[in-house]
Amino acid sequence: MKKIIALLLVAAMVLSLGACTNGNSGKLTLDVIISQYGNYTQAWWNQFEADFEAANEDIDLNIEIVSWSDIYSVVTTRISTQKQPDILNISGFADYVLDDLLMPAEEYVSDELQANFIPSFWASNEMDGTIWALPILASCRALFCNMDLLEGAGITAAPTTWDEVLTACQAIKDTYGEDIVPWGLDISTDEGQAAFSYYSWNFGGGYVDAEGNWALNSAENAEAVEFIKTLIDSGYCNSAPYTDTRYPLQSAFSAGTLAMMIGPMNMVSADSTVNYTATDLPTNNDKSIALGVCDQLMVFKDEKAEDGRTEAITKFFDFFYECERYSEYMVYEGFLPATQDSSAYLAENAENHMVGGTETPGSSEYFATFCAVLPNCQFYPMQKPEWMDVRNGVIDVEQKVCQGEMSAQEALNQLQSSVTGG
Amino acid sequence: MNERATPKPAKIKKTANPRTLRTMRKAEPYVWLAPSVLLMCIMIIIPILTVFKTSFSEVSKTGINKGFNGIDNYIAIFKEPTFWNTLQNTLIWTIVVVGLSTVIGFILAMVLNQKFHGRKIVRAIIVFPWATALIVQSVVWKYIINADFGALNSLLYNLGIIDNYINWTATPAAFFAWECWVGIFVTVPFVTFCVLSGLQSIDTSLYEAADVDGAGFWTRLFKITLPLVMPSLTVSTVLNIIYVFNSFPIVWTISKGDPADKTHTLVTYLYDLSFSNGKFGEAAAVSVIGFVILATCASIYMIMSLRAEKKED
Amino acid sequence: MNTLQPKFSWKRVLLYLFVFIVCIVILYPYFVMFITAAKGDSEMYSTTGGIFPTVWHWENFVDIWTAAPVFKYLLNSFLVAGGATLVAIVCGIPAAYALSRMKFRGKGIFMGAVIMSQMFSPVVLLVGIYQLMVNIGLHDSIVGLILLNAAFNQAFAIWLLRGTFTSISPEMEQAAKIDGCGTVQALVKILLPMAAPGIITTLIFVFINSWNEYTIALTLISTDALKPITVGINTFYGLTFIQWQYLFATSIFATIPVVILFLLIEKHLVAGLTSGGVKG
Repeated sequence: MKKIIALLLVAAMVLSLGACTNGNSGKLTLDVIISQYGNYTQAWWNQFEADFEAANEDIDLNIEIVSWSDIYSVVTTRISTQKQPDILNISGFADYVLDDLLMPAEEYVSDELQANFIPSFWASNEMDGTIWALPILASCRALFCNMDLLEGAGITAAPTTWDEVLTACQAIKDTYGEDIVPWGLDISTDEGQAAFSYYSWNFGGGYVDAEGNWALNSAENAEAVEFIKTLIDSGYCNSAPYTDTRYPLQSAFSAGTLAMMIGPMNMVSADSTVNYTATDLPTNNDKSIALGVCDQLMVFKDEKAEDGRTEAITKFFDFFYECERYSEYMVYEGFLPATQDSSAYLAENAENHMVGGTETPGSSEYFATFCAVLPNCQFYPMQKPEWMDVRNGVIDVEQKVCQGEMSAQEALNQLQSSVTGG
Repeated sequence: MNERATPKPAKIKKTANPRTLRTMRKAEPYVWLAPSVLLMCIMIIIPILTVFKTSFSEVSKTGINKGFNGIDNYIAIFKEPTFWNTLQNTLIWTIVVVGLSTVIGFILAMVLNQKFHGRKIVRAIIVFPWATALIVQSVVWKYIINADFGALNSLLYNLGIIDNYINWTATPAAFFAWECWVGIFVTVPFVTFCVLSGLQSIDTSLYEAADVDGAGFWTRLFKITLPLVMPSLTVSTVLNIIYVFNSFPIVWTISKGDPADKTHTLVTYLYDLSFSNGKFGEAAAVSVIGFVILATCASIYMIMSLRAEKKED
Repeated sequence: MNTLQPKFSWKRVLLYLFVFIVCIVILYPYFVMFITAAKGDSEMYSTTGGIFPTVWHWENFVDIWTAAPVFKYLLNSFLVAGGATLVAIVCGIPAAYALSRMKFRGKGIFMGAVIMSQMFSPVVLLVGIYQLMVNIGLHDSIVGLILLNAAFNQAFAIWLLRGTFTSISPEMEQAAKIDGCGTVQALVKILLPMAAPGIITTLIFVFINSWNEYTIALTLISTDALKPITVGINTFYGLTFIQWQYLFATSIFATIPVVILFLLIEKHLVAGLTSGGVKG
């Protein structure tokens, strides 16, 4: 028996040794983590990896696609074990800057590429006077209305104010009863801060005041949160807004069982037969404010780096942002480009590329429209170090208020003092 | 604790013959234990030590250890009202799921130990919930109980049982009740098969003898079945307490602790703390607290059941 | 066998009714999975639709094999679960044997330690586990997953096996030893066959637990080709759309092997029982 055990142990050790000796042969390796934007993200990056390695034989790319629900845990686990990737695609960079983990963008971005970025996007990744990340893509949110359903309920145009939203919801509820959900709402921990942004900005409030200081407990914000509660209490929205993420809501909209919701511009599935319009968010302001989302690519420092790492990274970005390849990826995933040449190119040539996993060509009109809308978008104040706490805080406020635990003003006051006081 | 058991006796090998024999006999049990001890020490004890260390450290939001900070993490956690609410939830969750699963599982095992037509098929069916990954189970149930598009409302509506769709998850308590239900659903097969394996190793002649003595159902249950199944039942209960207490995918998939952190259990709470809020130190403190609670409960249970076993001997 | 003769009694009717209801409840989620897997995109979110799909999209069950490397994922799951079961049982049998047949100091402490070792859920230990695996070079490897799953199932294997061994009287082994058998021989030839039901149950438990493990695999495995099925199906859980029909179709395929395995083993479970009975 002892012999058997000894043999097994030896076998286990040999196996484990075998597992760690599969090193690479003198090539420079870049570890890249990419967020999963769609169901076919992996396929596109597999092709990218093959193309890049064919063009740069001395560089070995190691690309890993991670879903949004797991990416933060995966990345922090890596960082705490000093196994951070070389290049990371994620949303938000302030925490990494605070821990002095990132390389300033100007150290690795070629001059041509820097000049090619849309200036506001390039500048949006600034913190303490330094640019820390590159914009990978942008997206903006719009109000989606199923026009057939609205007209069936006697509403001829998409609502433009919050009062019109209530009227439209009531009309839809009266007409279709339980068969149709009038309004899609997501205040889950998944993306509840997006809802807070839509409503607070268009009630005249927001996260920060004119000086850029946190101003979470404004009367406008309280009014916005109370409005969300009204939507729930009147039975206008989906039954479980606390846990429904926007993905099932988007699918429901695409299937024609949800009449209105605010969502990203690429939310309607390619094969949907719904007759819809995407328009400005309802607002009480003079001008509607949409939420823009701009994810980043960033580069981690590596003190023990081999020579040529920075050059390899520069090559990676030049290759990725190369107009046609980058534009193809934008059509593939349905997002808006962050570079000038690609914006211009897609406004005319989007039809040359296919939407991921389908035979559907892109639409130049779509890119022309949304690229023009982007300047009206506001972004999350991600460069502020407290952003993560604020993000989780506003979601908590929404949920507590809508559960009837406390008034919106009270909850927001608490949040404001915990964010600024601590 | 484990290390203490192995090496010492082995050292005194090169002595006179009778003593060597005695030492070897003394050492023998430890040799038998060695592979198991080695496996667990490396794979489990080391990470556990890391957690203890982290719970007394300040950790940045990106997961970098900034050094020792005493019991700050514990103080921060105890000040958090969500923690106390979560603790209460965890106790309810564990007691309800383990308790009901054990009762249902025991009854099912008794039934399945009878001879009846189709028994094999039923046994195969009962293994289903357990043969399916927890993550999948949780996703399916989330889909089933969705009030707007879910399968349960659609089924009841089409069968004419309800006229209006019911919002199954209107309150945090309702959410939590569903999560408990899914917990029970996936735990019952485990209990059933533990008990069944115990039931099957009972010698049937014992029952025949009891029949001759004219013992009734309850007498047989309490005098023969229960005592003989006790070891299996002890195993399943102790392990279930631990597994259920530490269960992650069900609550995480169905509600993520929402609304307003009302449906968290300790494990989802600490996962949320670490990976959504970047509070790794506090999360580690929560896991140590959870460990202390579990260790206390399980020790009490074990001491009691071991004593009972000894009495039987 | 005589007891199987049809003999009407209310007790039997109740028994069948009870079993029937249990089966319906258990099978319901699978029914939902199956029906949903055969639905088209547009019907998934229908609020008015019937129970069954209006159009059966059988192609969903075929499409998944090309939409993601599902076969590879399944194979990885088999390797992980099979390997973990083997390691867990090989380490667990001697330990359980020592615990049930020998007297030694530290027995209680060891039993306690075994249980204690299970009190941290893998979720809690993620960072520690990842660090450890990086240090010994086993992150992103199937071997690493096998060893971890085996370790996290040790307590369970030891406790269950110990229970089984204890319930078997040691007389047979003692007799064999008098006949000149060594301890190992007595264990392999006498005890193991008699303990077959317990061992097989342990095998099933460990296999299923490892097959279903999600969190460790998610964190440790980064290469797509090494992912087990539980992590692999995340492909259908992407950002913009959840492909319920693919998710559920794949889940059904992931459940079938385990159920079949169980059915195959159950025969032996009964056989092991009878053979034990004959010898006893």
